[in-house]
Amino acid sequence: MENDPILRIEDIKKAYRAREILKGISLSISKGELKVLIGPSGGGKSTLLQCINFLVMPDGGDVWLEGRKVNPHRKRELYGYRQQVGMIFQDFNLFDHLSALQNVQIALLRVKGMDKKSARERAVAELERVGLGKHIDHYPAQLSGGQKQRVSIARALAMDPKVMLLDEPTSALDPELIGEVLAVIKNLVANGMTMIMATHQISFSSAFATEIIFMEDGLIVEQGPPSKILSSAECARTKEFCSKIYDLHGEGN
Amino acid sequence: MDEWQFFQSQVFPSLMKGFKVSISLILPSAFLGVCIGIWAGSMRVYGSTWLRKLVDAYVAIFRGTPLVVQLFFWYFGLPHVGIYLSPFAASVVGFSLCSGAYQSEYVRGALLSIKKGQMLAAQALGFSKWQMLRSVILPQALRRALPGCGNEIIYLIKYSSLAYMVTCIEMTGEAKILASHYFKYTEVFLAVGAFYLVLVSLAGWFLHHLEGRLSIPGFEHHGK
Amino acid sequence: MMPEGLIAVFQALPYILQGSFVTIGIVLGAMGFGLAMGIPLALGQVYGSPPVRVAVRIYVWFFRGVPLLVLLFLFYFGFCSLLDINLSAFTVSVAVLGLISAAYQSQIFRGAIASLPAGQLKAARALGMSDAKAVWFIILPQALRLSIPAWSNEYSIVLKDSAVAYALGVAEIMARTHFVATRTYQHLPLYLAAGTIYLILTYAGTRGLRLLENKVRIRGYSR
Repeated sequence: MENDPILRIEDIKKAYRAREILKGISLSISKGELKVLIGPSGGGKSTLLQCINFLVMPDGGDVWLEGRKVNPHRKRELYGYRQQVGMIFQDFNLFDHLSALQNVQIALLRVKGMDKKSARERAVAELERVGLGKHIDHYPAQLSGGQKQRVSIARALAMDPKVMLLDEPTSALDPELIGEVLAVIKNLVANGMTMIMATHQISFSSAFATEIIFMEDGLIVEQGPPSKILSSAECARTKEFCSKIYDLHGEGN
Repeated sequence: MDEWQFFQSQVFPSLMKGFKVSISLILPSAFLGVCIGIWAGSMRVYGSTWLRKLVDAYVAIFRGTPLVVQLFFWYFGLPHVGIYLSPFAASVVGFSLCSGAYQSEYVRGALLSIKKGQMLAAQALGFSKWQMLRSVILPQALRRALPGCGNEIIYLIKYSSLAYMVTCIEMTGEAKILASHYFKYTEVFLAVGAFYLVLVSLAGWFLHHLEGRLSIPGFEHHGK
Repeated sequence: MMPEGLIAVFQALPYILQGSFVTIGIVLGAMGFGLAMGIPLALGQVYGSPPVRVAVRIYVWFFRGVPLLVLLFLFYFGFCSLLDINLSAFTVSVAVLGLISAAYQSQIFRGAIASLPAGQLKAARALGMSDAKAVWFIILPQALRLSIPAWSNEYSIVLKDSAVAYALGVAEIMARTHFVATRTYQHLPLYLAAGTIYLILTYAGTRGLRLLENKVRIRGYSR
């Protein structure tokens, strides 16, 4: 049972007009795994993540959550599915009119129908977990980028997601703020959260990922455990890309 | 009476008659309004302190009170001090002064939006004050003010109907007389509404094209 | 002129001021009506299907293109007798000003909604919110806050336009002023007095909305 995939996607395709962004992507992830998507910008990583929870409607392909196929055209089912799949955006997308606390609370209150008291307790707990217990009444505009991203992680965690999708969670951050967000993600790994993350943080990925998936031009080119994919000769394309990132940024961003 | 025949023989001729009066109200008022607006707007930016305050007060009063009150003031109020204006003259005076107050807002905003560096650069090149105004400030300011000023003229087209209230019989007035005479309010007012719609849409279309004509790449109109 | 004028103004003031309650009634009614209709119109134009969008655009085009006075006559003398419904001049004035204001307000809200980043809606959906909930809890609270300055401008326009209701014989400020003026022949001072009342109402309203704007302001939020 332990090895049954929590989330499985099969042959996801997406095109904008004539431009094919995703040419049929399949992957599956089991409980507690961290799968990292790497590859050049425009390679379809972000579109893939948004297709997985149907923020972008795929042209073809299927998604299974815990063995059940998701029908995105049935609204109720779609909303229920999205509640179980947390999403972290590159540019945070905190609700600008709500404080940190309210950002975490709102879906608990309005989507899960939790009562005010327990929603508040839960939200405070999640904010404390990401180290923002002192900032619960701050508004997004009063938080640094790293703090915003941590609030958005707390917001997703409060929904008790079975899987989390992270779309380059550190790439909009100043270099000195990346560490605090990566620390929170490391913590999630340690606590057994199941995650698919697009990122350019190679060394973080090689240390914590179960598997690295290299995507280019809408296809999975190479995939495997970090030890294999970053060193073995078969994965030449990935190695080349990673060394470029090192050259350009020292440690990517 | 047959509806179409009624329209042809009665409605259309009356509305055309009124239409001519409306146009003869709108054109001079729009022209005077723009002139007043450019002058008042410039004074509000570049004028001396007391002049600035005076013009500010003019704008506040004419933007803060209903046009109907202003028209009544010019038509019914002025005879009190021995000045008698015809309904037509009172309407043109009322429209021009009111419109000018609104126009000055756009002109002022446009002038204020011009970056300081533009003037510094002109001065550095040895432009005189007048040359700078003519070849640097106005070409930029007028483009920025154009959408607002054009819209104001469209408002003026609609508000020209209020001349009826000081007994200047333009399009709306003709319609009212005709409608009460034949007791055909719906038909007649729908017809006159259509006239105004055509007029306003034409003006809007013309303005849109003018803006396109004058647009300069990367020179945004009025930020956001 | 001055003494008689001043006396006439002071004698008529209570009567004219009663009219300001009628004016305020028209303005509040029309603004409220316009708000209640303007929001769905804006949502229809932003999120609606193509036919809905076209319908909203036609509505806006019509009510922004036809003069107020023509619409007042059309509804009061035309539609009301055509459909044989008996509405007071006051009701028709509120309705017509409201229909027009709805057209303008819908464009205010549309602009505000369009200025919000797309990520707001995405994040709400990612949390499992239905589109209706996302609009209600996430989009509208932000869009309405952003709309207050334009709304304050709309208030001052509706206030001034309400004077046109005089043409239907509604006993608001303008009608009462004119009534007194024709009896006392003190037109000039009386219109100046009426103008002053409108100035005060404009100022009070925009001031009040400025206070509201500050009250609901979110720290550090600007767009």
